[in-house]
Amino acid sequence: MPEPSREEEIGQLCARLKELLISQLNIEGITPDRIQDDDALFGDGLGLDSLDAVEIVVLLQRNFGVEVKDMEKGREIFRTVRSLAEFVYEQQHAAP
Amino acid sequence: MGLVVPRGRGVDALGRALEEGWRAPASVEAQGLPGGQTPVYRVPAEAMVDPRALRAARRADRLTRMAVLAAWDAAAEGGLTAEGAGARVGVIFATALGPHATTFAFLDGILDYGQAGVSPTQFSHAVHNAAAAYIALALGIRGPALTFTQFHFGFHEAVRMAGAWLAGGRCEAVLVGAAEECGTVQASIAARRLAPPADGRIRPFAFGRPAGTVPGEGAAFFLLTPDGGASDAARIEVAFGAESAAGIDAETGLLILDAGGLSSEEAAYADAAQAGVPVASYAPVFGGTLGLSAFHASAAALTLRRERSFATPVPDHAPERALRVETGGRPVREAVCLRLDCAGRAAALRLRCSRGR
Repeated sequence: MPEPSREEEIGQLCARLKELLISQLNIEGITPDRIQDDDALFGDGLGLDSLDAVEIVVLLQRNFGVEVKDMEKGREIFRTVRSLAEFVYEQQHAAP
Repeated sequence: MGLVVPRGRGVDALGRALEEGWRAPASVEAQGLPGGQTPVYRVPAEAMVDPRALRAARRADRLTRMAVLAAWDAAAEGGLTAEGAGARVGVIFATALGPHATTFAFLDGILDYGQAGVSPTQFSHAVHNAAAAYIALALGIRGPALTFTQFHFGFHEAVRMAGAWLAGGRCEAVLVGAAEECGTVQASIAARRLAPPADGRIRPFAFGRPAGTVPGEGAAFFLLTPDGGASDAARIEVAFGAESAAGIDAETGLLILDAGGLSSEEAAYADAAQAGVPVASYAPVFGGTLGLSAFHASAAALTLRRERSFATPVPDHAPERALRVETGGRPVREAVCLRLDCAGRAAALRLRCSRGR
């Protein structure tokens, strides 16, 4: 069985992240299929705020074992579901 | 007043529940028990949907949501709007166990993920004062907000403090209420320690016999003002001590016992039940909860408002000399809710009809 490609893995991560964001952040009135990979998480997109950002840090650590150590990079990492998924993918495939 | 109870949300839901009487509880999972299930009276999820009242409560837990909805309805009934509350309105919230489900979830987070992996939202919501803060936020209240945490007399202390605030001019109105939650932890503890009755019936008049209880949950709030406001409002007073429930008129009075099978010390209610006035307890409707005093106060208020009494749902074991209450036309002008703690200390909430003052 061939290894999944980077894009396939990121697609799977996006789907998982959408479910986690909705359940862990108590986002009401929306289902995962209504969230586009490139929707903004903050501001006019999903409307998340700074408290949610802290919760996402915990969410990534608990569910994917990855840490956001550089909060300067956090602004870009937390931009969209896809940018989150790409960050998780890169961390999981980084050389030890 | 505003209510969220196992039969639904609102005064009408309370009225229907009291008319209907006992209903079989639901079952939830109880970890480590034979069969794995235990009976509970939980508030249905559909009773806690209200985008307007809960618009700022996305992160709020179950206890806080129940409290906000009950407070919201009490404020609305009293003519208090989110735009008009302001600095002259206070909030006093009473709870025995507080947001314990959130507290346990937070502790589970420490055990499972370490201190660095716990949810900051759960941490900030694991304090008992969170519900009062959310109520103030939902209703735009900028007056004092206070929480009483006591096992037995928290709601009584809340009413007493509200009276002091009103008498001293600190507030023009005070939202006073209580809420208790029945999560899986409480359900499991109740199943192990309080022996739920096999047929699901709480027997308030068992008075310490091993009758057991079925845990319940909900929230009840009242808007207290110095003059009572609406024409169908009731006056509420609180008293502490052995004589706190004395002097009820046998013809027009009603004694409601806060007995719900929560403790073997409930034998002390037996003497009060034979005092020569009609007695009732609605624990089989609300479930066995440390917040029973507030729920009974709501039942008392509805009794006065509708000028009719509601039969006690499960009268089993009532002493022969106890005068039972029948559902119907007997006018009640005064209802007294008596609470005894494990040490036999007493407190009573006395509600009087204010018509014709």
